[in-house]
Amino acid sequence: MGLLEAHGLSKRFGGLQALYKVDLRVEEREIVGLIGPNGAGKTTLLRLLLGIHRPDEGRVVFKGQEITHLPTWERVELGLAATFQNPRPLRRLPVIANVLVAAYGPRGGRKGDWVKRAEARALDALEFVGIADKAKEPASVLSQGELKRLEIARALATEPELLILDEPFAGLTPVETELLAKSLARLRKGGRFGRLHSEGCAMVIIEHKLSELFKIADRVVVLNFGEVLAEGTPEAIAQDPRVMEAYLGEGAYA
Amino acid sequence: MTSPLRIWSLPWALRYLKHEVLALPGRTAALLFVLFLLLFPLFSQDPYLLRVLTLTALFALYAASWDLLSGYTGQVSLGHAFFFGLAGYASAILGRELGLPPALTIPSGALLATLAGVLVGLPSLRLRGPYLSLVTLAFPIIATGLIFLFPRFTGGELGLSGLPRLGQSRLEEYYLVVGIFLLSVLFLWKLAGSRVGLFFHAIREDEVAVRMVGVNTVRYKLLAFAVSAFFAGLSGGLHAHYLRVAGPDSLSLFNSIQPVIWSVFGGIATIYGPVAGTFLLFPFLEALRVAEELRMLAFALLILLVMRFLPQGVVRGVLERLEEECPRCKVKNAFTRKACRACGVPLHLEAREVKP
Repeated sequence: MGLLEAHGLSKRFGGLQALYKVDLRVEEREIVGLIGPNGAGKTTLLRLLLGIHRPDEGRVVFKGQEITHLPTWERVELGLAATFQNPRPLRRLPVIANVLVAAYGPRGGRKGDWVKRAEARALDALEFVGIADKAKEPASVLSQGELKRLEIARALATEPELLILDEPFAGLTPVETELLAKSLARLRKGGRFGRLHSEGCAMVIIEHKLSELFKIADRVVVLNFGEVLAEGTPEAIAQDPRVMEAYLGEGAYA
Repeated sequence: MTSPLRIWSLPWALRYLKHEVLALPGRTAALLFVLFLLLFPLFSQDPYLLRVLTLTALFALYAASWDLLSGYTGQVSLGHAFFFGLAGYASAILGRELGLPPALTIPSGALLATLAGVLVGLPSLRLRGPYLSLVTLAFPIIATGLIFLFPRFTGGELGLSGLPRLGQSRLEEYYLVVGIFLLSVLFLWKLAGSRVGLFFHAIREDEVAVRMVGVNTVRYKLLAFAVSAFFAGLSGGLHAHYLRVAGPDSLSLFNSIQPVIWSVFGGIATIYGPVAGTFLLFPFLEALRVAEELRMLAFALLILLVMRFLPQGVVRGVLERLEEECPRCKVKNAFTRKACRACGVPLHLEAREVKP
């Protein structure tokens, strides 16, 4: 059984069928790329998985437990985490406080010196993404690239088992992109990063920079008009004529 | 950190006073303020002045309770008088029906206000921003309507008068109110600075983002409503017994807006800002009674001017000029210092003339 299984997820916004019977399966320590043209329903799928929206139909099962109707924070407690496409920092709070909010969560346990451990974990999450030197600055002074990293640090501070990243590479410089890709690969393998612990983290990465994504993804799922169009290894997807048609229009590849 | 034993050692206390309190204008002002409140009756026992100070302390607690909910947690309440007035009425009715002393009825009233806080907080789970504010606005209006519906029970427009006094003498009442005010504000301030306070802050900044990192925002929003309503109710109960009347005025729109004005004037999301705002504005409004016609005009003018020049509130505006944050270690320093008191980094890097 997979770590996360979504069965037949559908979501309608007024007259728009945003998702129609989408299945998604993520194994442990697997990196799944989720791609598709604009408006294909990628972000909607993320929101259904995290419980920001409720699906009209379908079920979400995480670690063998049905979570379709759980509130977001309980899903996070189970080990899900996600980042937003547009960073949503707590602007007036210091960078470290942004991460502390996540680190104080119930996943850190409530035994003994848990507050100190949470604080250490928050610092190490900042260290991991490389913005620990800005810890005491207010989040409003960070650059776009730093905000993206803060977003990831915040998700990591909950020590997730499945991390869903919405366009993590968008807006990053090529150097930043490469660094981040390496960090994500390390994270998937698992281990100790300071006092931050990872059992090996599975990921779903929504991304438009396909060349970067295909380098680290094990499997790619293509969405188009709210339905799964294709699924397979990055190599297979890169060759798939249906995918090219969806992205470029009919006849464009001919 | 300090061990609990050291707090009671005099040399340590003196050193703390010198290096941690007197070193910063803001903390010095807070210390002087507390001393002023505690020692004021030694210098004057003028009944009018004591009365103004007592009422100011009551309202300052009321404003601080508003700040915890609206300033920190961002759930802007425009009907805070609901908790204030409800607790006053509850205390009056409990005292009349059961013959209980104020020492029991005021806390009971505050607990009832806490329940009411959770009740008002329930819509906040679905409503956001101005929509929530409008809902909170409705509650005191509904309560006023109910009070006029059952005049035999509530005294109607006249309210319930002849409530038992808080204490035997003016002085006793003064110290009781000031003591409760200081302890409550200290509690609110500590809460706001704690881990729970961080969640309150975070919920105001971006509720969805906070949910996404595993915080049960429902629990913390209801907690903010409950705590805030408790202290609003506490001040409301004390107020009713101090004036010896629980009337519909305590539920008026004006009474809902007052803590908003005081808090914004002093600076929201600080706890001490609303306290300072109340202690500046309420006595000022009293002093203006010498020119009754111009009173509200002068009051409005003062608020306009302050908001124009110190938009983050009086306290933060003034402190920003008196204290400076060390660019390296973020410790606060008095503006007179040349180097940071913690790490020694020079604070004012003046642009040196570069000679060609």
